[in-house]
Amino acid sequence: MITLETHTIDGRSIAMIAFDRPDKRNALTPEMLVELNTVAKASSADHDAIVLTGKGKAFCAGFDLALCQTTPDGTIMRKLLTGLSAACNTLRLSERPVVIAAQGAAIAGGCAILGGADIVVSNTNAKLGYPVTKIGVSPAISAPYMTQSVTQGIARERLILPDLFSGTTAHQLGLVHELTEEPDDVQPRALEIAAKLAIKPPHAYAATKGLITRLEGDERETRIKQGLETSLGLTGKQEEQRLLGALTF
Amino acid sequence: MLELATLTHEQSLSTLTLNRPDAHNALSRDMLRDAHLCMDELEAMDDKPSVLVITGAGRSFCAGMDLKEVIIEGDPSIPLQLLESLARLTYRIRQFPAVTVARVNGAAIGGGCGMTTVCDISITHADAKLGFPEVDLGLCPAVVAPWLVRKIGPGKSRQVLLTGGLISGARAHELGIVTECADSRESLDEVVTKVTSSLTSGGPDALRATKALLNTLDGSSDEAILLEAARLSAQVLATEDAQNRLKARRK
Repeated sequence: MITLETHTIDGRSIAMIAFDRPDKRNALTPEMLVELNTVAKASSADHDAIVLTGKGKAFCAGFDLALCQTTPDGTIMRKLLTGLSAACNTLRLSERPVVIAAQGAAIAGGCAILGGADIVVSNTNAKLGYPVTKIGVSPAISAPYMTQSVTQGIARERLILPDLFSGTTAHQLGLVHELTEEPDDVQPRALEIAAKLAIKPPHAYAATKGLITRLEGDERETRIKQGLETSLGLTGKQEEQRLLGALTF
Repeated sequence: MLELATLTHEQSLSTLTLNRPDAHNALSRDMLRDAHLCMDELEAMDDKPSVLVITGAGRSFCAGMDLKEVIIEGDPSIPLQLLESLARLTYRIRQFPAVTVARVNGAAIGGGCGMTTVCDISITHADAKLGFPEVDLGLCPAVVAPWLVRKIGPGKSRQVLLTGGLISGARAHELGIVTECADSRESLDEVVTKVTSSLTSGGPDALRATKALLNTLDGSSDEAILLEAARLSAQVLATEDAQNRLKARRK
């Protein structure tokens, strides 16, 4: 449910990785996240830049909640959270440019993945946000990434408020870096940006990305672990079971 | 009890109201003591609210420190007592395990604006006056600075705190000092209710866990820096320049 296409632009090779479950708005399964992690690692070695996107109208609507309901003890939810945290980190640590084309919708886990990107492209009317506390899930897993891309204040507000916001608002907040009017223009624009970045000298790019990561400090790994543990801590508990179990599809 | 700060509860939402409307809810030691009593009550609740709204009675949210208590005429330790009490109150609000929402109904100035930045979410209207005019009065906004830096980042905080003066609610929204800005005073409660209903519809455990992690990540659990800030602020406040400017303001 992950596809990889290679685009060659100006002699540079760009890996276009896509969630490929358009009938489910690319809702994430544990297998998809494991696969994303593997493909992203391999692409960092084999290609000059990475574009991550989703097939169809929505980039990613978050975790497959119907699937989560099949294990009320939280087994699948835990796999998803662990896989998401690992995938974000892999993208973030890639030495190559990582551009995410988030057309249509980037919700909950789908919004969390944006934390792995160097550049995020979306469209003005796209829906983004972290509505997960409504189902008893903590978006804490995103916090260590989000506090790096926007101020701590904005991260606090958006992770605590369960409401969705538009691509335009996300652009104002700094979560999205480039906006298109039309959702169909998001992927072409992301490819264009990736192609532009792919021609930069790789050693300079890798050194700069590495430095920015080091500037996050020695506590970086600890913070990512704390974020994951906070989200894992609620899985299978009464509140999450009740709210998640009450969802109907 | 003087009831200079009051507490009301409605299901999983509690509201703490600063209640000195005649003084624009200016921060006095007595009002802060009553606000601390409200926090005592909240912390002792078995069934804690999932959302705590903080607001001001009357037309202002909080006009900042009460001039009567910071102009040194008798006991010179009074300003430090006030500043330490404010520092501890902001710390308690940040640590309280519920989402805090500042309903900024009107002027939120100096320490009053600091009270809004310590809240997780803050909502005001376009015509409200907010800001940190401390430097204009020869004062140092030390107690509020850590909260503002956590809210809008160090770059913008430098601009805001070193420029002083007052800004509109709309401008405060642009700067990120407030989360939402209603078009007018009349439509403030519509926005507040929309936000609080959305928050109370979710899982309180998930909200608490998320807030606790955010507090860990952004250093909010550092109480010592706030008390150090209160001492610094009191030192600057005691200078002749600051005292002269405050006295001129009183006239």
